[in-house]
Amino acid sequence: MSPSALDGVRVIEFCDEIGSYCGKLLADLGADVIKVEPPGGGWQRHTPPYFRDQEGVDTSLWFWVHNTSKRSVVLDLETDEGRALARKLALTADVLLEDFPPGYLAARGLGYEELHAAKPSLVYTSITGFGQFGPHAHYAYSDIVGQAMGGVMTLAGEPDDPPNMIVGNQANICASIDAAQGTLLALLYAERTGKGQHVDVSAQEAISMAQETAMQTWDLQKRNRVRTGEKGMIPVALPGWGVYRAKDGWVQLMVLAPAGKDFPALVDWMRERGMAADLDEEPYASLCAQLSMPFVTQVMTNPESAMAVIPQLAHINEVVKAFIATLGAVEAYEEGQRRQLLVGLVSTPKHLAENAQLRARGWYRPVEFPHLGVTIEFPGPPYRLSETPARIGRPPRLGEHTAEVLAELR
Amino acid sequence: MTDLPLSGIRVADFSWFGAGPIAGQTLAAFGAEVVRVESEAKIDSLRVVQPFAMNPDGTFKTGYNVSGYFNNFNAGKLSIQLNLNTEKGQELAYRLIERSDVFLTNFTPRVIEKWNLRYEQIRQVNPRIIAAYAPMQGLEGPHRDFLGFGAVLTPVTGISELSGFPHRPPIGVGTNYPDYVVNPGHTVVAILAALRHRERTGKGQLIELPQIESVVNVLGTAVLDYLANGRVQTRAGNRHPAAAPHGAFRCKDDFESVNSPDRWVAIACRTEEQWRALCTAFGHPDVADDPRFATLSARKANEDELEALVGSWTRDRKAEEVMELLQAHGVPCGVVQNAQDLLERDPHIRARGYYQYLDHPETGRSAYDGPVARLSETPGYHRAPAPLLGEHTWEVCTRILGLSDDEIADLLAEGVLT
Repeated sequence: MSPSALDGVRVIEFCDEIGSYCGKLLADLGADVIKVEPPGGGWQRHTPPYFRDQEGVDTSLWFWVHNTSKRSVVLDLETDEGRALARKLALTADVLLEDFPPGYLAARGLGYEELHAAKPSLVYTSITGFGQFGPHAHYAYSDIVGQAMGGVMTLAGEPDDPPNMIVGNQANICASIDAAQGTLLALLYAERTGKGQHVDVSAQEAISMAQETAMQTWDLQKRNRVRTGEKGMIPVALPGWGVYRAKDGWVQLMVLAPAGKDFPALVDWMRERGMAADLDEEPYASLCAQLSMPFVTQVMTNPESAMAVIPQLAHINEVVKAFIATLGAVEAYEEGQRRQLLVGLVSTPKHLAENAQLRARGWYRPVEFPHLGVTIEFPGPPYRLSETPARIGRPPRLGEHTAEVLAELR
Repeated sequence: MTDLPLSGIRVADFSWFGAGPIAGQTLAAFGAEVVRVESEAKIDSLRVVQPFAMNPDGTFKTGYNVSGYFNNFNAGKLSIQLNLNTEKGQELAYRLIERSDVFLTNFTPRVIEKWNLRYEQIRQVNPRIIAAYAPMQGLEGPHRDFLGFGAVLTPVTGISELSGFPHRPPIGVGTNYPDYVVNPGHTVVAILAALRHRERTGKGQLIELPQIESVVNVLGTAVLDYLANGRVQTRAGNRHPAAAPHGAFRCKDDFESVNSPDRWVAIACRTEEQWRALCTAFGHPDVADDPRFATLSARKANEDELEALVGSWTRDRKAEEVMELLQAHGVPCGVVQNAQDLLERDPHIRARGYYQYLDHPETGRSAYDGPVARLSETPGYHRAPAPLLGEHTWEVCTRILGLSDDEIADLLAEGVLT
């Protein structure tokens, strides 16, 4: 078996929803991540969906995907004994991860100052909604609140709808990814100098990087970017640009973007299938020939310039819609891409499970659950390291390793 | 100078657009010397798209150096212009890689092959190199050469299908979300892990980060629900299976919020205590026991009514007031903030000093996102604003590549340093 990048690193994780993905990243890269959980388990163990819809502390799929390759120890931090064991355990670690509200662990004798004094090389990473200090540090947090306060929700959705959140607890994910970076930076430093430190990650700050250009637009132009929905940033509906309904799903077309072939290549495809209608006739033919990025740029800077051709554009778009509607979504994606047209499949989870690229690359990894008598395919790691590949190990049952880990402590 | 975690590490940054450059910027903020290789022959499009800095007369500044989109992802780097379409440009690229610890790119496999920058090639000149490639689909596989960028990745990875309201088409999330944290963050994690392995063994390695794999990874629950249960999830708006109310609720309009006067708060009641506290905070403690809303399952069953009711409580109040009121009662609640809020009105972000303001020769004093995490002993920071195109060509050629002034003059004349 090849070595792991984080061989020999021990992580004690006091995390629930915000930080568990950070622990997963470290665990899959080979760190020995011991998750300390409260009796009964935390939120994540009680969040649906469940395996075969069997509700229980060991069957939450939310918990599973964010806790691969870890060990689980149950300790009650509300008791003296639990706190004493937690402290002992923490001092065996190179890294401590925690996502409690600021001050929670300090009040239980497990704060940064106290543990740092006892073990100066310890990297202590705190992952919270708003960080360790500041007027909102103690605000009650949940993922959607992080997405809202971080400036990404205001950008998502139709202008007439409420702002949209992004699927999958992405404020927590961003916080965890930033925490993994901060933790590894601090670990490299500690391994070189013997000096540990406190790493402070705020979910609000972490996801705010995903505002794309909104921050800079305000800073440079004193203008807020707003949500523009299906139209995107272009004020006029353009053919070959946006979400189209296929026979059995949706595809996204961005044919006018510079990375692929221009609109006439789409018309070629439509003509071959007998679906080009009157696009080879004027006034449409010459307009189709012009449809590329310079046209989009012109429309974006000067919407009036497109006024005269809006009815023609709308007609061309109807012809494109009618064509896409005759195709299967996967067919439109794969054949469009073969023709070097910028077509994206709006993948459903089923599409992702069947995705030809992911399958050919063996990305999904079988994970055995002997106690359930099943082997389930899990999403693979985000990266491939040629010498130290990441591995996806089974997520632990609640307290599965309590006896084993406490025995190591004696 | 403070010793930072990556002091002494040099990064040859052959990336462009969002995901690659942000990874390089993080490495720079924590002490690495990052040399961004650029060329007018294949200009990073982010240098030439909005938002541009403005002149005092309200017109946009022009040129390669005034885009906030580019600048915010490239702070603290050196920029060398190198035309990799020329043989000599490729030779110099090799010389840079030979003298670097990390190689970083998110160009497509086809471009990498054209420029002779495959791992098998560059390891010949530097076996200790950590070479990180972040192509859209991967370096191998039937979709290897599929076209795309963040805007296509959002639908292809499932984000579009799973985000937004169910009665709307899958319109995406308003940004190329994966480009800014998920992909650059995963890239940095992999590079740091590989650096640790090299510290211990002396061995470099190849890192491949197919962006599709990186992004589907963070939607794992929905994918696993299909793989394990055969269930095909779709978008569910702002709702949560184990919380209600859970969503965005409209507040009083605020015309100081520039071109975005509609104001909203996000509210999440995860527990019965939070639900009761919400009702009490709004002066309707009796509603908590209304049989339509008294339990989570009742609230889920009557969610349209529930949302209308909570919306009626928020509609005539300022968003900030609702947030403070509910937070005082321990209910997770936050204003749906825009960039103006984050930069100017959020007292918390200001108190934490998250944004770093840097003087840039063409844009003037501009805001940059702070580093990914606060390290108490070795805090990261942007040591310089984003470089002008080719600002450090001469410096990199002399100090790092060891070229003489005459050699540089020849290369300039031959169009290699363009």
